[in-house]
Amino acid sequence: MTRGGIYLHIPFCEAKCIYCDFCSYAGLEALHGAYVDALLVQIRQSGSSRHGLTFDTLFVGGGTPTVLTSEQLAAIVAACRTWLGLPEDAEATVEANPGTITQASLAALLQAGYNRLSIGVQSLHDQELALLGRIHDVRGALEAITAARAVGFSNLSLDLMYGLPHQPLARWQATLERALALAPEHLSLYALTIEERTPLARSIALGALPAPDDDLAADMYELAQEMLSACGYAQYEISNWARRSPGDQPGQPPARACQHNLHYWRNEPYLGLGVGAHGYDGQRRYAHIVDPEEYVRRVAAGESTLASSEAISRDQAMDETMIMGLRLANGVTRDRFRRRFGVELDAVYAEALAALANTGLLEVDATGIRLAPRGYLLGNRVFAEFMRAGS
Amino acid sequence: MTHNNAAPIAHVRNFCIIAHIDHGKSTLSDRLLELTRTIGERDMAEQVLDRMDLEREKGITIKAKAVRMLHDHADGQQYELNLIDTPGHVDFSYEVSHALSACEGAVLVVDAAQGIEAQTLANLYLALEHDLDIIPVINKIDLPAARPDEVAHEIEDLLGVPADEVLRVSAKEGLGAQELLKAIVERIRPPMGDDSRPLRALVFDSHYDSYKGVIAYVRVMDGIIEAESLLLTMSNRRRIEPMEVGVFGPQMRPVAQLGAGDVGYVATGLKNVRDCRVGDTITGATQPVAEPLPGFAPPKPMVYAGLYPVDNADYTDLRDALEKLQLNDASLVFQPESSTALNMGFRCGFLGLLHMEIVQERLEREHELELLATAPSVEYQVLLTNGEVIIVDNPSELPNLSQVEEIHEPWMHISLFSPSEYIGPLMELTTGRRGEFEKLEYLDERRVVLEFYIPLAEILVDFHDQLKSRTRGYASMDYAFDGHRPGDLVKMDILVNEEPVDALSLIVHRDSAYDKGSLLVRRLKEVIPSQLFAVPIQAAIGSKVIARTNVKATRKDVLAKCYGGDVTRKRKLLERQKEGRRRLKRVGKVDLPQEAFMAVLRLND
Repeated sequence: MTRGGIYLHIPFCEAKCIYCDFCSYAGLEALHGAYVDALLVQIRQSGSSRHGLTFDTLFVGGGTPTVLTSEQLAAIVAACRTWLGLPEDAEATVEANPGTITQASLAALLQAGYNRLSIGVQSLHDQELALLGRIHDVRGALEAITAARAVGFSNLSLDLMYGLPHQPLARWQATLERALALAPEHLSLYALTIEERTPLARSIALGALPAPDDDLAADMYELAQEMLSACGYAQYEISNWARRSPGDQPGQPPARACQHNLHYWRNEPYLGLGVGAHGYDGQRRYAHIVDPEEYVRRVAAGESTLASSEAISRDQAMDETMIMGLRLANGVTRDRFRRRFGVELDAVYAEALAALANTGLLEVDATGIRLAPRGYLLGNRVFAEFMRAGS
Repeated sequence: MTHNNAAPIAHVRNFCIIAHIDHGKSTLSDRLLELTRTIGERDMAEQVLDRMDLEREKGITIKAKAVRMLHDHADGQQYELNLIDTPGHVDFSYEVSHALSACEGAVLVVDAAQGIEAQTLANLYLALEHDLDIIPVINKIDLPAARPDEVAHEIEDLLGVPADEVLRVSAKEGLGAQELLKAIVERIRPPMGDDSRPLRALVFDSHYDSYKGVIAYVRVMDGIIEAESLLLTMSNRRRIEPMEVGVFGPQMRPVAQLGAGDVGYVATGLKNVRDCRVGDTITGATQPVAEPLPGFAPPKPMVYAGLYPVDNADYTDLRDALEKLQLNDASLVFQPESSTALNMGFRCGFLGLLHMEIVQERLEREHELELLATAPSVEYQVLLTNGEVIIVDNPSELPNLSQVEEIHEPWMHISLFSPSEYIGPLMELTTGRRGEFEKLEYLDERRVVLEFYIPLAEILVDFHDQLKSRTRGYASMDYAFDGHRPGDLVKMDILVNEEPVDALSLIVHRDSAYDKGSLLVRRLKEVIPSQLFAVPIQAAIGSKVIARTNVKATRKDVLAKCYGGDVTRKRKLLERQKEGRRRLKRVGKVDLPQEAFMAVLRLND
């Protein structure tokens, strides 16, 4: 049986942040109940057409899943257990944003079976949080983390962003220091990306905010690499770090790595449900429509909620295995590639490997290939070489 | 005498329409075609469509450049009017001159609002040189800004034609077109010539047809051409057994014969336009004339540039495409060239910048080639210290200055037509480019013509755009080659990542070398994408660096996030990035975009 993950999308937020181009909507509170019901219906329906997949991770993302009630979130994880066979001990992550959680609601989530919390902290500086349009301040973030620890969450991940408008290196360092002091099991650090048609993009176009400075962002990234490494964190993906545990094996991701996201990076299947959610069953990639009301209507009417579905050729699957897998510190191993595709990685990608030789971007050895330290910030240059024409 | 399919020679009129661009030449031609029912009003649109379909299908341009119209004149007789089209742009004045040789008259069209412009005069002088009967016409009299009385007086001053004899038309509205047909019959003389004399026919245009070979557009001066005639081109003694003889109506329509005074075509079956060049004389193979018609000279390129395939593998495709273009364009010349920076390509010679643009565009669009063009250059005559004179049309081939005694460059005589308030800006523009003022004349109270001598190299790049922008689009220009003059010229090399890039070398005047060098390295810095390492860019004369800058290294090019939902999007983004980089040209270790090779075009901003 092929192992995979379950991704469920909750498209609701209390307010939309200025940089956000995800599928999320503020002000749709009236739809929450109907949407969760639709999701439960789809979970049940997916149970009968699993195509030999077993699910060993759950990730409830958003939006802000924690704008839903704990009961609604509990019903979701319970449905995954019942209909999709999600084991009791499987990693079950819910994204939570400070300002939408209390100690009581967190206790209920833990009780319901969520065992990993991914908290959208983004910054530990009040002005930065206000600028980004977050609904919380630093105190709110710290309280949320304290509450999570208090109720017994032992697997916490914090999201932080760098390269923010007007953010000097020293302030990023301060945010990192404060975050490290909280000793989270996991950290995701994202460079602020300007997405088209966001308020942020418009402000930059108008000159109201400065355009991102790639050199400074690179300095911030390198600073984070040093600090996190020194504090006992292993970088296992371009933007992700996990606290080292005693049993961690070289060549394997650390135990505290996000098991769900590892499915993506290993190009393994995942079931995606909810508006805007993408999924991959190993043969096809598909995406659901993005309009929540229409989604609810279609589920009720028994209609398909798919917006697109694309067959993935073998060549494409290989390329995707490379561009996703090279994001991981361990890269892509020859064994894994051979087992999956029955051919040698070096034969398929001779041209890419030749083009990248002597660039200092890629490490090649007997085990496999992976980004060299210099390649982390220049990943796209490497990945692009693995996109074969016509694939 | 009367001959088959055609009017007696006294009832033939051969004419062209000459005009400055946008003064309404094609609209007026359309009206004449409609009035003579050569093309029905309703067929106009269909006609255009058919032509485009055919072009798409065959990949060739069908030129309807010599149309026979039949006109019932007020005297009750039918006249055969042959309208011969002429290219308007000065780049093609060689071809214009041959089109005019095929005519006895010219309709001079002047815009009622714009008045006389540079090409009006340039074309008029050409027409007068060919001793044509001129019918001046003021077009667009329907425009609110029309000032026909003033323009009529300008024309009177110019031509000596009384202002009240100048026809006034609106081609758009169809006003006055009938009167124009009448004037063509009455004011243009019939052709001279004799069917019974040995054949002499002028080739005034041609196109290549994949079935019938080179189609020569001919004006028969004396004698008769029949499909059965054995013919001979006089410049290269090429024998022709015509596959077909015909007229344009406007489609090609076979006829039994073309006689003296007639305009039509000969489908030669020849495989290369070079075998039957514009300006050449066709005579009978059995009874050839001794002397060709005057005026044949192979067109001489004025502008040179290297054309290189972005992908080296396309080299042979580029050669094939150039050869194909040459089938239709005898003025295009090319020869293989190799560059250390760009590998294998072709040095191409063009009549002018417009011609260069057209060729480049056709290669890219019709032949789907991705090309790199080096900055255009002129042809320098270089006197070496050993007394030898060499011709250099590629700056990178200029020998070391220690071996150079003197460099001569082509100079042009230019005439700028403009409202008088722009005299200052025009003086500034031309003298800033080493122009020498010759004279200024008032055409009327508010319009002047300024004449200058100026190096061709100085007007190759961006001059026309500057001319337009500094005069709010009002000025127009005409130019003619004047001669070569010595100049204090030096070769400026550009070093990218410490290595000279031959395709970026240019020849500049010593006085402007420093300014141009600094500007060029700055421009290059703007267009060269950052690489994985810092790239120094330097401008140097000989071994002396006169300007330098640095392109910073890329430090960050990676998506921060990539999860399940992003795979498709990410793949597309990477594909786009890869496609973008494929268009770059790797020179040494550095990827250069096309814009780098064109940066030199923006040195006068």
